[in-house]
Amino acid sequence: MNQTEDLIKHLSTELGGLEAGPIQGVEHDYAPWEKRCHALANVLDIHKIVNTEEKRRGIASLGSELVGKLTYYERWIVSFANILFQKQILTPEELARKMREVEARHPTAAASGA
Amino acid sequence: MSSHAQAHTSAPDAGGAMPSYYEIMETAVRELLVEKKVIGAGEIRQMLEVMDTRTPALGSKIVARAWVDPEFRARLLANGRATLEELGIDFFEDTQLIVLENTDRVHNLIVCTLCSCYPREILGLPPDWYKMRPYRARAVKEPRAVLAEFGTVIPDNVEIRVSDSTAMIRYLVLPQRPPGTENFTEEQLASLVTRDAMIGVVKPNIPAAKEKSQ
Amino acid sequence: MAKGLGREPGPVPGIVKAEGADPLFKTGDEIKISMRFPIGHFRTPNYIRGKRGLIEAVIEPPAINNEDEGFGRNAGVKRHYYRIAIPLSELWPGYTGSRNDGLRIEVFETWLERS
Repeated sequence: MNQTEDLIKHLSTELGGLEAGPIQGVEHDYAPWEKRCHALANVLDIHKIVNTEEKRRGIASLGSELVGKLTYYERWIVSFANILFQKQILTPEELARKMREVEARHPTAAASGA
Repeated sequence: MSSHAQAHTSAPDAGGAMPSYYEIMETAVRELLVEKKVIGAGEIRQMLEVMDTRTPALGSKIVARAWVDPEFRARLLANGRATLEELGIDFFEDTQLIVLENTDRVHNLIVCTLCSCYPREILGLPPDWYKMRPYRARAVKEPRAVLAEFGTVIPDNVEIRVSDSTAMIRYLVLPQRPPGTENFTEEQLASLVTRDAMIGVVKPNIPAAKEKSQ
Repeated sequence: MAKGLGREPGPVPGIVKAEGADPLFKTGDEIKISMRFPIGHFRTPNYIRGKRGLIEAVIEPPAINNEDEGFGRNAGVKRHYYRIAIPLSELWPGYTGSRNDGLRIEVFETWLERS
């Protein structure tokens, strides 16, 4: 009997009825980048560049380990990157180069000669 | 805390700490999309401005209005989106809004077990707990135990309805007006309505004895 | 009855509607959520599969299947979503709350069968 079927038939992000612990009243003030990430999602959906359902499917595709270990907006931005690669809107190399460039703007990075 | 984005080529947020890997990724993705003209240069900033005007205070005002104005309440319950659009509150895409009325016989709460659907056009961004496993797993299975953890006890003769969002409908709970508020202004009423009361996990605040006697 | 064209009340005769334009179910119908198990993406959670409930409301207007949107489709045949009421005792054996406690959930027409 294939015991992995259940894993495949369930989305890594669907939780209804699963075992879970007590509610913890966790809240945090949204960081500016998180709000920008949410704004990005809305803009991408309006233009149907990446619609909301694609984003949801993309997050589930990260799989249980990443869904468990990344925070909410960290999952979003990684999912967006993956989907944009699949749609040939960005390439991994372009993103990697731009990330280096963004990182290098930070005074700490500049000071350390990165 | 200022939440407006800088120009699309942005400096990192904090003066001191290095932005996180994911913040760098977000900045890089956004800048590339603007450079490639996939999205417009000002679109993110404009969207942030839209988002910033949606907070629980907006929801509280809507609830308070429904408490004092029966005709508004009726229209709100009949068609949430259309009624709020008349007030200039626009909605995203095909989103519809169903306002869930709490009564002496029915208590409503909302959840999204698949992701984190939430009435953002009215309440703004949801609290972390709403998006985390304990609430999303247990609200549809043992709502009374979940409510008890928020300090809310619903008697057995009151029906609990849990609405799980899966498609284009978003929900807002219209709590019952607390007793002793007959002479309250709309503004005073709104101050009793918390975000969590509009999610349905708590009841609105009861006015302090001092307020009641005014 | 709605006003018609000319002097006749009601719907214009002879019109054939597009596929999916009329809802298959109406408020009060007893339904069952289909037992099928797609992989890859869906918006009908596992915990309601095969469960019986009632149509509480027909959601207008018809819309495309959001499950298909997950792979980038932004168009398709439009059908109705329905707000379904399912008792929690139907969902969870041994449910200990009130027997009137229930779930409300939107489900796309292709997931519903008459029960």
